Amino acid sequence: MLEIKCPYCGKRSQNEFSYGGDANLKRPELGKEVSDKVWDDFVYYRSNPKGKHSELWHHVSGCRQWFKVSRNTATHEIFKTSKLDEEL
Amino acid sequence: MTGVSSLQSFHKKGLFGDHHKKNESSLLKISEIKGLSIVQIAQYKRSKIQLKEIQIDGVKFPLSSPNVEYNEKTRILWSGPKTWLIVSSKKSIDQAIQEKCSSENFAVTDISHSRAVIQIKGFKAGEILKKGCPIDFNNFKRNNCAGTIFQGINIVIDKTEDEPETFNLFALRSFGESFYHDIADAALEYGYVGI
Repeated sequence: MLEIKCPYCGKRSQNEFSYGGDANLKRPELGKEVSDKVWDDFVYYRSNPKGKHSELWHHVSGCRQWFKVSRNTATHEIFKTSKLDEEL
Repeated sequence: MTGVSSLQSFHKKGLFGDHHKKNESSLLKISEIKGLSIVQIAQYKRSKIQLKEIQIDGVKFPLSSPNVEYNEKTRILWSGPKTWLIVSSKKSIDQAIQEKCSSENFAVTDISHSRAVIQIKGFKAGEILKKGCPIDFNNFKRNNCAGTIFQGINIVIDKTEDEPETFNLFALRSFGESFYHDIADAALEYGYVGI
């Protein structure tokens, strides 16, 4: 079980959170012509790194805020968490 | 507020669990709290209003987790950034909220009808919550609150007293029965009084 430090509530059990995917993913710009491949990559394709990974998590049972987590996907060590508008 | 309380059909009064040869006054007490006004307040991002200037029934908005501001009848629980839960037994609280929280600055939602509220008080109250909730209750002080889970059910915990340990527990009304049975089941080991 992970203990995740919510930037708003402090350390809480993983049970209270839900994983929200890659934090580095960027949506294609609005109003621009986008190829099928770019959409396909954005919607379906994800990297699956072993090691340090920037992720989004949602404190769904607590303050209901999204935030960023830097985590090692192999060891589950959490290096840092930050608010969405802060540098991770 | 509704006429039928959320736990009316299954909250039982009396002695339950391992209460034999124990002094009734020293047992844990489980009760349903009825007739509370529960109002969720969220400040809009665009709002420029200073929170320090606002008091509801003389109570300020707490600005960080896990704080509760309170007076005798009204408690304001921090439930997220710029989000609060006002819990009050005062009948005129709706009017006070309307006066202080303008619709330009705040989203105000009355959720009184949609919550089941259980109070557990006394012997081993914290131990019972530890059975299903991952919060660190050893560092959970009086007038602390938290949104969390109990046996997978989303709840809000508000610790109102240290001696005797007293917690008000808020769950969605539709989860009320299941939540009540989980709490009652956890309390059987120590014995409890349903009041």
